[in-house]
Amino acid sequence: MVYKRKKYHRGDTHLKKRWRTKRRTKDLDEINEDLNDKNVEKLLNQEVDLDRPGAGQYYCIHCARYFINDTALNDHFRTKVHKRRLKALELEPYSIEESERAAGKGNYIAPQKRKIDTISRDNYNMNVETDTSSKAKLAKMDA
Amino acid sequence: MRIETCYFCSSRIYPGHGIQFVRNDCKIFRFCRSKCHAAFKKKKNPRKVKWTKAYRKTFGKELVVDPSFEFEKRRNVPVKYNRELWTNAIDAIKKVETIRQKRQNLHIMQRLRKGRELEQERDIKEVQRDLSLVRSPAVGLKERRKLEETAEQEEMQDSNDEQEQQEMEVN
Repeated sequence: MVYKRKKYHRGDTHLKKRWRTKRRTKDLDEINEDLNDKNVEKLLNQEVDLDRPGAGQYYCIHCARYFINDTALNDHFRTKVHKRRLKALELEPYSIEESERAAGKGNYIAPQKRKIDTISRDNYNMNVETDTSSKAKLAKMDA
Repeated sequence: MRIETCYFCSSRIYPGHGIQFVRNDCKIFRFCRSKCHAAFKKKKNPRKVKWTKAYRKTFGKELVVDPSFEFEKRRNVPVKYNRELWTNAIDAIKKVETIRQKRQNLHIMQRLRKGRELEQERDIKEVQRDLSLVRSPAVGLKERRKLEETAEQEEMQDSNDEQEQQEMEVN
């Protein structure tokens, strides 16, 4: 006599925990918004928050993750996880607006591909500096 | 009452159907049925799932750009109630719907026609390549050989005649 197994979900709490809403991380379309210049500045220069890993000072925007120090962050930039995420962000992520456009509410716009590089505090600040310096140069030229 | 669109498959959601998920940034994701909800939970990309509207539009299966799509869309502009506007809108909805369906069907038929052309071309090529299976290359081989032989003999005779003539001239 074969009985039906009673407890199918025994001992899978460690799996279920991952899918709980409280453990949800940022979705791709949220990260896409974080990549705007305004948000980038905010996210890279966060206030000291002792509850966060590394007091919230070492943040990877693309993966929405905090790291404990600079070496950990730089090591993360070289990992496959991070590179895969950059690749995923190359195409504009799917959004609610796109679902409506696909339903025939407005013309459907095909997602654009773009180039995505890792934004860390170092290269972002450098970019800002070069921008300002170039602007200064232009101002000098005008003068 | 409002008919919403499904986040995943872009189908219509009538009141009392489906389920919705509110993300912690206040965005509301609506799903028409548990199939779509489960796919969302599994983080499937609707552009890559073949049964969604997003897939069909990204891969050119359906009409993508058309003025008839501009009629129904979220405009975020408040409109004061006006009976005349309402009646006109109802008439327009019916007309635009018929036009849109015609154009969409036309698009699909044109797409399929292309496939039929390609199929025909492929068939012709295949037949030409494997013609030996349809008609044996040995058909009429004997007759052809006979013809060749007779031709050779004639040539031989001709050449013999010529030689004789040349000899005569030399003499």
